[in-house]
Amino acid sequence: MSKLSSIFTYTFLSLASIVSIFPFLWMVVSSTNKSVDVTKGRLLPGSHLLENFRSLLDTVDLIPVLINSIKIAVITTLLALLIASLAGYGFEIFKSKMKDYVFSFLLLSMMIPFAALMVPLFRMFGTISEAAPMIGIDTLAAVILPTSATAFLIFFFRQSTKMFPREIIEAGRIDGLSELGVFIRIYIPTMKTTYAAAAIITFMASWNSYLWPLVVLQSSEKHTLPLLISNLGSGYSPDFGVIMTAIVIATLPTALIFFILQKHFVAGMMGSVK
Amino acid sequence: MKKIFALLLASLLLLSACSSESKTTEEASDTEKETNELTVWTWDPNFNVKAINMAMDTYNKENSKLKLKVIENAQADIVQKLNTSLSSGTSKGMPNIVLIEDYRAQSFLKAYPDAFFELSSYFKAEDFAEYKLAPTSLEDKHYGIPFDTGVSGFYVRTDYLEKAGYTVEDLQGIDWNKYIEIGKKVKQATGKSMISMDPKDLGLIRQMIQTSGSWYLKEDGVTPDLGDNEFLKEAFTTYKEIIDADISKPVSDWGQYLASFNSGETASVLTGNWMTASVKQEASQKDKWAVVPFPKQSGNANSVNATNLGGSSWYVLNISGKEKAADLLAKTFGSNVDFYQDINKEIGAIGTYKPAAEGEAYKAADEFFGGQPITQDFSKWVADIPQVNYGAHTYVIEDILAVGMQDYLKGKDLDTVLKDAQKQAEQQIK
Repeated sequence: MSKLSSIFTYTFLSLASIVSIFPFLWMVVSSTNKSVDVTKGRLLPGSHLLENFRSLLDTVDLIPVLINSIKIAVITTLLALLIASLAGYGFEIFKSKMKDYVFSFLLLSMMIPFAALMVPLFRMFGTISEAAPMIGIDTLAAVILPTSATAFLIFFFRQSTKMFPREIIEAGRIDGLSELGVFIRIYIPTMKTTYAAAAIITFMASWNSYLWPLVVLQSSEKHTLPLLISNLGSGYSPDFGVIMTAIVIATLPTALIFFILQKHFVAGMMGSVK
Repeated sequence: MKKIFALLLASLLLLSACSSESKTTEEASDTEKETNELTVWTWDPNFNVKAINMAMDTYNKENSKLKLKVIENAQADIVQKLNTSLSSGTSKGMPNIVLIEDYRAQSFLKAYPDAFFELSSYFKAEDFAEYKLAPTSLEDKHYGIPFDTGVSGFYVRTDYLEKAGYTVEDLQGIDWNKYIEIGKKVKQATGKSMISMDPKDLGLIRQMIQTSGSWYLKEDGVTPDLGDNEFLKEAFTTYKEIIDADISKPVSDWGQYLASFNSGETASVLTGNWMTASVKQEASQKDKWAVVPFPKQSGNANSVNATNLGGSSWYVLNISGKEKAADLLAKTFGSNVDFYQDINKEIGAIGTYKPAAEGEAYKAADEFFGGQPITQDFSKWVADIPQVNYGAHTYVIEDILAVGMQDYLKGKDLDTVLKDAQKQAEQQIK
């Protein structure tokens, strides 16, 4: 019986994994095929990978765009982790009558869809551009700043902080650490897994973000990878082989980061739910 | 403590690193704008981007040196960006020249009347195909210089036709009944579908009703014309007949649509001439294709064998640099016959500038289509396209109709479907 059920489990799981991995596989295979073969639905690897890659490099400035994407994603992640973890820590550890009101107000901001914020936000950056063009429209800073503090991430850190033992903080204070010292020397090392999970979430969101960068980045040399891929598909006769190659390149960094931090990610997510 | 400060400093440094760099380019572009740099927003690197760059080269041969900064974005993205910048009232980062699809043009011209620069004095409107002028102008003022035509063709596989006992001559000037009859024979003889259709995309319906000079909206460009529109009714009936005759192949997206004829599974493609490049993509099908005039509607004596799908025009924004941008467009797209020959040879673009049809490139034979001079044929049909007022709501109405079409195909009464669509459209367009 147990053998039978394990056979069943294995078949079911294998089928499920094939279904979930198929689009990914098709993407990789398609990047090695000619555009015509991609539209025909060819599933065998072809020999066109190098040609696709070459024509991708010929048609677009891949490297600067890649660097833009990396800059934005890395800086956003660093800033967001720093801000959100400080805020989450503060909300949970320090006592204040108003903090729950402030917190629910913060959560409310998660309910507003971005489409509604876009025009006012754009207007705001338009005005900023007059005074400080270095962080105004058409700068990478304009992409980074609005996403560097998100209510979700603060919420995520606050939830995880709930299981952080307060006795250690007391011990640290008694041993003469400053408040910031407690945060840096005790909190950060203990919460490594939470940081890892948050880093993946933020990095992925920033790496894949589309609408705001699209609107605020005007010049081609500041474009990010998602914009570049969207442009590739815009022609009357798009080259699907080249598009797939670009998508593979865009997928690699997030996949890589996920695999590196996978262990912590799982632990971090578990921690915040507990 | 040190660590966190290092982190803070590092991020600040990085932030300022990317901003200081953008500052310099910003300053540079500001000063250059005063002199000679113009920004252009457009889509499709192989078509529109090449066309505007060629325009700059042509212009610079005889005039002061202009520099173009062409920013490429997908069409839907440009619409999004333009809407956001225009409605926020910030002219920061706006382009000098932008390409807008004809179906969408009126919505921009009406919503932001002061944002566009009037071009009436820069080109002779009567030199352009009449049907292009309605979407590009507002209250008799011309705001757009017409660019490519979306003149439709009926691309057909001659080898399949032969097997079914037809020649290309049999397809000249036919109506939809004849089309379905031929389709059935082709299916019998070859087992191939006559046409592929995407249920979400009613481009075929749009093309059908324009052959009769009708549109989703009445001539004022505002009142929906769905409930009592006999041409739309006929188009819906034809659409259903095609499906009932089992000569169509359903596709669900653009990629599948292209694949359906690249793989040789469908015998004809009825769409705008910009599809030529995609048809040619499958080189093994050389000499197997021909282009014939679009079928007309049988229920209307005035229906013609010419219609249109898509096509776009260039607009100049009302910001500094507008005169230069207008001058560039006027001296190329607005009046230059040789320029039109060049862009036809280079990218296959067919304009709507009437005098250009006399040029030699337009008369050249196309090897892929068995030596047929397809550009000449297309531009002959351009002159016959009935003028309609696209208005500002083509895609809003199309979304409503696409749902209606599904109801109709499932058996709902056609009059009710169209009346309901009329009501919905009236509610949405106000």
